[in-house]
Amino acid sequence: MIRIAAVGDVHVDKDVLGRYRPALEQLPDVADVLLIAGDLTRHGTVDEAQCMAQEFGGLGVPVIVVLGNHDHQSDQELQVMDVLRDAGMTVLEGEGTVLTLNGHRLGVAGAKGFGGGFAGACASSFGEREMKNFVGTTEAIADKLGAALRGLECDALVALTHYAPVPETLTGEPLEIYPFLGSYLLGQAIDSAPTALALHGHAHHGSERGRTPGGVPVRNVAHPVIKQAYNVYQLLSEETGAGLVHA
Amino acid sequence: MAQLDEYVEAEIQRLLTENGAVAEQGITLQRRDHLLVLGGEVESAQRRDEICRQITTRFPEVEIACDIGIVRAAAPSEVEEIS
Repeated sequence: MIRIAAVGDVHVDKDVLGRYRPALEQLPDVADVLLIAGDLTRHGTVDEAQCMAQEFGGLGVPVIVVLGNHDHQSDQELQVMDVLRDAGMTVLEGEGTVLTLNGHRLGVAGAKGFGGGFAGACASSFGEREMKNFVGTTEAIADKLGAALRGLECDALVALTHYAPVPETLTGEPLEIYPFLGSYLLGQAIDSAPTALALHGHAHHGSERGRTPGGVPVRNVAHPVIKQAYNVYQLLSEETGAGLVHA
Repeated sequence: MAQLDEYVEAEIQRLLTENGAVAEQGITLQRRDHLLVLGGEVESAQRRDEICRQITTRFPEVEIACDIGIVRAAAPSEVEEIS
Protein backbone atom coordinates (compact mmCIF):
# COMPACT_ATOMS: atom_id res chain seq x y z
CA MET A 1 0.00 0.00 0.00
CA ILE A 2 1.19 3.48 -0.88
CA ARG A 3 -0.70 6.53 0.34
CA ILE A 4 -0.21 9.70 -1.67
CA ALA A 5 -1.17 13.09 -0.29
CA ALA A 6 -1.71 15.70 -2.99
CA VAL A 7 -2.66 19.33 -3.39
CA GLY A 8 -2.03 22.06 -5.93
CA ASP A 9 -2.36 25.81 -6.26
CA VAL A 10 -1.37 26.64 -2.71
CA HIS A 11 -0.02 30.07 -3.78
CA VAL A 12 2.10 30.55 -0.68
CA ASP A 13 3.24 34.00 0.41
CA LYS A 14 3.78 35.55 3.84
CA ASP A 15 0.03 35.86 4.44
CA VAL A 16 -0.44 32.09 4.14
CA LEU A 17 2.31 31.05 6.56
CA GLY A 18 0.89 28.76 9.24
CA ARG A 19 -2.44 28.07 7.49
CA TYR A 20 -1.47 24.64 6.18
CA ARG A 21 0.88 23.68 8.96
CA PRO A 22 -1.59 22.12 11.44
CA ALA A 23 -2.87 19.76 8.74
CA LEU A 24 0.65 19.09 7.44
CA GLU A 25 1.79 18.06 10.91
CA GLN A 26 -0.75 15.20 10.69
CA LEU A 27 0.33 14.20 7.19
CA PRO A 28 2.98 11.58 8.11
CA ASP A 29 0.27 9.67 10.00
CA VAL A 30 -1.96 9.35 6.93
CA ALA A 31 0.34 9.45 3.88
CA ASP A 32 3.77 8.29 2.72
CA VAL A 33 4.56 11.14 0.33
CA LEU A 34 3.23 14.59 -0.60
CA LEU A 35 2.85 15.62 -4.25
CA ILE A 36 2.18 19.29 -5.05
CA ALA A 37 0.77 20.11 -8.48
CA GLY A 38 2.23 23.56 -9.16
CA ASP A 39 1.38 27.18 -8.41
CA LEU A 40 3.37 26.90 -5.24
CA THR A 41 3.74 30.69 -5.04
CA ARG A 42 1.80 33.81 -6.09
CA HIS A 43 4.39 35.50 -8.33
CA GLY A 44 7.30 33.05 -8.46
CA THR A 45 9.71 35.15 -6.39
CA VAL A 46 12.54 33.82 -4.25
CA ASP A 47 10.90 35.31 -1.14
CA GLU A 48 7.69 33.43 -1.85
CA ALA A 49 9.62 30.22 -2.55
CA GLN A 50 11.22 30.59 0.87
CA CYS A 51 7.74 30.92 2.39
CA MET A 52 6.73 27.79 0.48
CA ALA A 53 9.78 25.92 1.77
CA GLN A 54 8.98 27.02 5.32
CA GLU A 55 5.30 26.04 5.14
CA PHE A 56 5.70 22.70 3.30
CA GLY A 57 9.27 21.75 4.30
CA GLY A 58 10.50 19.42 7.03
CA LEU A 59 7.39 17.24 7.00
CA GLY A 60 8.95 13.86 7.68
CA VAL A 61 7.74 12.50 4.34
CA PRO A 62 9.21 13.14 0.87
CA VAL A 63 7.75 16.15 -0.97
CA ILE A 64 7.68 16.13 -4.78
CA VAL A 65 6.54 19.21 -6.71
CA VAL A 66 6.16 20.65 -10.18
CA LEU A 67 5.99 24.37 -10.87
CA GLY A 68 2.90 26.13 -12.19
CA ASN A 69 2.36 29.20 -14.34
CA HIS A 70 2.37 31.50 -11.29
CA ASP A 71 5.82 30.20 -10.40
CA HIS A 72 7.09 31.56 -13.74
CA GLN A 73 5.62 35.06 -13.36
CA SER A 74 8.86 36.73 -12.18
CA ASP A 75 11.20 34.83 -14.54
CA GLN A 76 12.97 33.44 -11.47
CA GLU A 77 11.86 29.83 -11.83
CA LEU A 78 15.43 28.49 -11.62
CA GLN A 79 16.06 30.31 -8.35
CA VAL A 80 12.66 29.17 -7.06
CA MET A 81 13.59 25.56 -7.85
CA ASP A 82 16.93 26.01 -6.05
CA VAL A 83 15.17 27.25 -2.90
CA LEU A 84 12.78 24.30 -2.93
CA ARG A 85 15.55 21.77 -3.56
CA ASP A 86 17.63 23.28 -0.76
CA ALA A 87 14.62 22.68 1.49
CA GLY A 88 14.72 18.98 0.56
CA MET A 89 11.91 18.94 -2.00
CA THR A 90 12.18 17.12 -5.33
CA VAL A 91 11.29 19.44 -8.22
CA LEU A 92 10.34 17.68 -11.46
CA GLU A 93 10.30 19.31 -14.90
CA GLY A 94 10.17 16.62 -17.52
CA GLU A 95 11.89 14.18 -15.20
CA GLY A 96 11.03 11.25 -12.98
CA THR A 97 12.03 9.86 -9.62
CA VAL A 98 11.48 6.56 -7.81
CA LEU A 99 10.88 6.27 -4.07
CA THR A 100 10.71 3.07 -2.08
CA LEU A 101 7.76 3.33 0.32
CA ASN A 102 6.48 0.47 2.45
CA GLY A 103 8.50 -1.94 0.34
CA HIS A 104 6.94 -0.70 -2.93
CA ARG A 105 8.59 1.44 -5.59
CA LEU A 106 6.59 4.58 -6.36
CA GLY A 107 7.57 6.25 -9.62
CA VAL A 108 6.59 9.88 -10.15
CA ALA A 109 7.18 11.75 -13.39
CA GLY A 110 6.28 15.40 -13.49
CA ALA A 111 6.15 18.50 -15.64
CA LYS A 112 4.35 21.82 -15.52
CA GLY A 113 2.59 21.13 -18.80
CA PHE A 114 0.98 23.86 -20.87
CA GLY A 115 -2.20 24.67 -22.82
CA GLY A 116 -3.57 23.94 -26.25
CA GLY A 117 -6.96 22.38 -25.65
CA PHE A 118 -8.53 19.02 -26.27
CA ALA A 119 -9.77 16.85 -29.13
CA GLY A 120 -12.29 18.70 -31.24
CA ALA A 121 -11.18 22.13 -30.02
CA CYS A 122 -7.40 22.14 -29.88
CA ALA A 123 -4.76 24.49 -31.17
CA SER A 124 -2.67 23.46 -34.19
CA SER A 125 0.89 24.27 -35.09
CA PHE A 126 -0.01 26.40 -38.10
CA GLY A 127 0.15 30.00 -39.22
CA GLU A 128 1.88 32.64 -37.14
CA ARG A 129 5.17 31.91 -35.44
CA GLU A 130 3.54 32.76 -32.08
CA MET A 131 0.95 30.02 -32.64
CA LYS A 132 3.58 27.47 -33.61
CA ASN A 133 5.59 28.41 -30.53
CA PHE A 134 2.52 27.96 -28.33
CA VAL A 135 1.73 24.49 -29.62
CA GLY A 136 5.40 23.57 -29.86
CA THR A 137 5.90 24.41 -26.19
CA THR A 138 3.21 21.94 -25.17
CA GLU A 139 4.50 19.29 -27.57
CA ALA A 140 8.02 19.52 -26.13
CA ILE A 141 6.80 19.32 -22.54
CA ALA A 142 4.46 16.41 -23.30
CA ASP A 143 7.25 14.55 -25.09
CA LYS A 144 9.52 14.89 -22.05
CA LEU A 145 6.73 13.86 -19.68
CA GLY A 146 5.96 10.77 -21.74
CA ALA A 147 9.62 9.76 -21.94
CA ALA A 148 10.03 10.28 -18.19
CA LEU A 149 6.98 8.14 -17.44
CA ARG A 150 8.08 5.35 -19.76
CA GLY A 151 11.58 5.41 -18.32
CA LEU A 152 10.65 4.63 -14.72
CA GLU A 153 10.83 1.13 -13.30
CA CYS A 154 8.43 0.92 -10.40
CA ASP A 155 5.40 -0.83 -8.89
CA ALA A 156 3.08 2.18 -9.14
CA LEU A 157 3.47 5.06 -11.59
CA VAL A 158 2.07 8.56 -11.00
CA ALA A 159 2.04 11.55 -13.36
CA LEU A 160 2.17 15.00 -11.77
CA THR A 161 1.37 18.14 -13.81
CA HIS A 162 0.02 21.61 -13.23
CA TYR A 163 -2.01 21.85 -16.44
CA ALA A 164 -4.84 19.40 -17.04
CA PRO A 165 -4.44 16.30 -19.25
CA VAL A 166 -8.19 15.78 -19.77
CA PRO A 167 -11.25 18.06 -20.11
CA GLU A 168 -13.42 16.19 -17.58
CA THR A 169 -11.62 17.70 -14.60
CA LEU A 170 -12.21 21.18 -16.04
CA THR A 171 -15.98 20.86 -15.72
CA GLY A 172 -17.11 24.06 -14.01
CA GLU A 173 -14.65 26.28 -15.86
CA PRO A 174 -15.83 28.38 -18.83
CA LEU A 175 -15.50 26.31 -22.02
CA GLU A 176 -13.82 29.28 -23.69
CA ILE A 177 -10.70 28.98 -21.52
CA TYR A 178 -10.18 25.21 -21.76
CA PRO A 179 -7.27 25.70 -24.23
CA PHE A 180 -5.49 27.73 -21.53
CA LEU A 181 -6.08 25.11 -18.86
CA GLY A 182 -4.60 22.00 -20.43
CA SER A 183 -3.88 19.85 -23.43
CA TYR A 184 -4.76 16.42 -24.75
CA LEU A 185 -1.04 15.99 -25.46
CA LEU A 186 -0.45 15.59 -21.73
CA GLY A 187 -3.13 12.88 -21.60
CA GLN A 188 -1.53 11.14 -24.56
CA ALA A 189 1.84 11.19 -22.75
CA ILE A 190 0.22 9.77 -19.61
CA ASP A 191 -1.46 7.03 -21.66
CA SER A 192 1.87 6.10 -23.29
CA ALA A 193 3.01 4.50 -20.00
CA PRO A 194 1.35 2.18 -17.45
CA THR A 195 0.32 5.16 -15.33
CA ALA A 196 -1.81 4.38 -12.27
CA LEU A 197 -2.82 7.93 -11.37
CA ALA A 198 -2.51 11.41 -12.89
CA LEU A 199 -2.65 14.48 -10.64
CA HIS A 200 -2.97 18.09 -11.75
CA GLY A 201 -4.10 21.51 -10.56
CA HIS A 202 -4.56 24.91 -12.27
CA ALA A 203 -8.35 24.71 -12.75
CA HIS A 204 -9.72 26.33 -9.59
CA HIS A 205 -13.34 26.00 -10.72
CA GLY A 206 -12.94 22.53 -12.19
CA SER A 207 -13.97 19.09 -10.92
CA GLU A 208 -11.99 16.51 -9.02
CA ARG A 209 -12.38 13.34 -11.04
CA GLY A 210 -11.81 12.23 -14.61
CA ARG A 211 -10.07 9.60 -16.72
CA THR A 212 -7.79 9.75 -19.72
CA PRO A 213 -8.92 8.19 -23.01
CA GLY A 214 -6.69 5.24 -22.03
CA GLY A 215 -8.48 4.83 -18.71
CA VAL A 216 -5.98 6.36 -16.27
CA PRO A 217 -7.70 7.97 -13.25
CA VAL A 218 -7.15 11.75 -13.19
CA ARG A 219 -7.59 13.92 -10.11
CA ASN A 220 -7.68 17.72 -10.09
CA VAL A 221 -6.19 18.56 -6.69
CA ALA A 222 -6.28 22.36 -7.00
CA HIS A 223 -6.82 23.62 -3.47
CA PRO A 224 -10.11 25.43 -4.26
CA VAL A 225 -11.40 22.14 -5.77
CA ILE A 226 -10.52 19.79 -2.93
CA LYS A 227 -11.28 22.42 -0.23
CA GLN A 228 -8.91 20.94 2.33
CA ALA A 229 -5.16 21.00 2.93
CA TYR A 230 -4.57 17.86 0.82
CA ASN A 231 -6.31 14.76 -0.45
CA VAL A 232 -5.04 11.24 0.18
CA TYR A 233 -5.07 8.61 -2.57
CA GLN A 234 -4.20 4.98 -1.93
CA LEU A 235 -2.44 2.78 -4.48
CA LEU A 236 -1.47 -0.90 -4.31
CA SER A 237 -4.09 -1.38 -1.62
CA GLU A 238 -3.90 -4.16 0.88
CA GLU A 239 -5.56 -2.32 3.72
CA THR A 240 -7.12 1.03 4.45
CA GLY A 241 -4.80 3.80 5.53
CA ALA A 242 -4.56 4.14 9.28
CA GLY A 243 -6.66 6.93 10.72
CA LEU A 244 -8.70 7.59 7.60
CA VAL A 245 -11.93 6.08 6.34
CA HIS A 246 -12.62 5.21 2.72
CA ALA A 247 -14.29 7.96 0.68
CA MET B 1 -22.90 54.95 -11.41
CA ALA B 2 -20.34 53.68 -13.91
CA GLN B 3 -21.62 51.68 -16.85
CA LEU B 4 -21.03 48.05 -16.00
CA ASP B 5 -20.50 46.83 -19.52
CA GLU B 6 -18.45 43.99 -20.95
CA TYR B 7 -15.42 46.23 -21.42
CA VAL B 8 -15.35 47.17 -17.75
CA GLU B 9 -15.79 43.52 -16.82
CA ALA B 10 -12.89 42.49 -19.06
CA GLU B 11 -10.73 45.30 -17.67
CA ILE B 12 -11.42 44.22 -14.09
CA GLN B 13 -10.73 40.57 -14.93
CA ARG B 14 -7.33 41.53 -16.33
CA LEU B 15 -6.64 43.86 -13.41
CA LEU B 16 -7.12 41.03 -10.93
CA THR B 17 -4.66 38.80 -12.78
CA GLU B 18 -2.05 41.30 -13.96
CA ASN B 19 -1.91 43.56 -10.89
CA GLY B 20 0.97 42.30 -8.78
CA ALA B 21 -0.87 42.93 -5.52
CA VAL B 22 -3.64 40.52 -6.54
CA ALA B 23 -2.45 38.00 -9.18
CA GLU B 24 -5.66 35.97 -9.01
CA GLN B 25 -6.97 34.10 -12.06
CA GLY B 26 -9.84 32.38 -10.29
CA ILE B 27 -12.13 35.29 -9.41
CA THR B 28 -15.50 35.25 -11.13
CA LEU B 29 -17.42 38.43 -12.01
CA GLN B 30 -21.18 38.55 -12.41
CA ARG B 31 -22.83 41.75 -13.58
CA ARG B 32 -26.17 42.61 -12.00
CA ASP B 33 -28.15 45.75 -12.92
CA HIS B 34 -26.07 48.10 -10.80
CA LEU B 35 -23.81 45.71 -8.98
CA LEU B 36 -20.75 43.60 -9.62
CA VAL B 37 -20.73 40.31 -7.68
CA LEU B 38 -17.29 38.82 -7.03
CA GLY B 39 -16.95 35.05 -6.53
CA GLY B 40 -14.30 32.38 -6.15
CA GLU B 41 -11.91 31.49 -3.35
CA VAL B 42 -8.51 32.81 -2.31
CA GLU B 43 -5.88 31.75 0.22
CA SER B 44 -6.24 34.57 2.76
CA ALA B 45 -8.56 37.32 3.98
CA GLN B 46 -5.88 39.88 3.07
CA ARG B 47 -6.04 38.76 -0.57
CA ARG B 48 -9.83 39.02 -0.62
CA ASP B 49 -9.71 42.51 0.86
CA GLU B 50 -6.99 43.60 -1.59
CA ILE B 51 -9.15 42.50 -4.54
CA CYS B 52 -12.00 44.72 -3.35
CA ARG B 53 -9.59 47.59 -2.66
CA GLN B 54 -8.05 47.41 -6.12
CA ILE B 55 -11.41 47.42 -7.88
CA THR B 56 -12.76 50.26 -5.72
CA THR B 57 -9.62 52.33 -6.32
CA ARG B 58 -9.66 51.83 -10.09
CA PHE B 59 -13.44 51.97 -10.54
CA PRO B 60 -14.74 54.09 -7.63
CA GLU B 61 -18.26 54.27 -9.08
CA VAL B 62 -18.69 50.52 -9.45
CA GLU B 63 -20.65 49.03 -6.59
CA ILE B 64 -19.31 45.60 -5.65
CA ALA B 65 -20.61 42.72 -3.57
CA CYS B 66 -17.85 40.40 -2.40
CA ASP B 67 -18.79 36.72 -2.16
CA ILE B 68 -15.15 35.59 -2.30
CA GLY B 69 -14.40 32.84 0.20
CA ILE B 70 -11.20 31.71 1.92
CA VAL B 71 -10.27 28.15 0.99
CA ARG B 72 -10.42 25.83 3.97
CA ALA B 73 -7.14 24.16 4.89
CA ALA B 74 -8.18 21.42 7.31
CA ALA B 75 -6.70 17.91 7.30
CA PRO B 76 -8.68 15.29 5.36
CA SER B 77 -10.75 12.61 7.08
CA GLU B 78 -11.01 10.23 4.13
CA VAL B 79 -8.73 8.35 1.77
CA GLU B 80 -9.70 7.42 -1.80
CA GLU B 81 -8.59 4.03 -3.05
CA ILE B 82 -7.50 4.28 -6.67
CA SER B 83 -8.27 1.29 -8.87
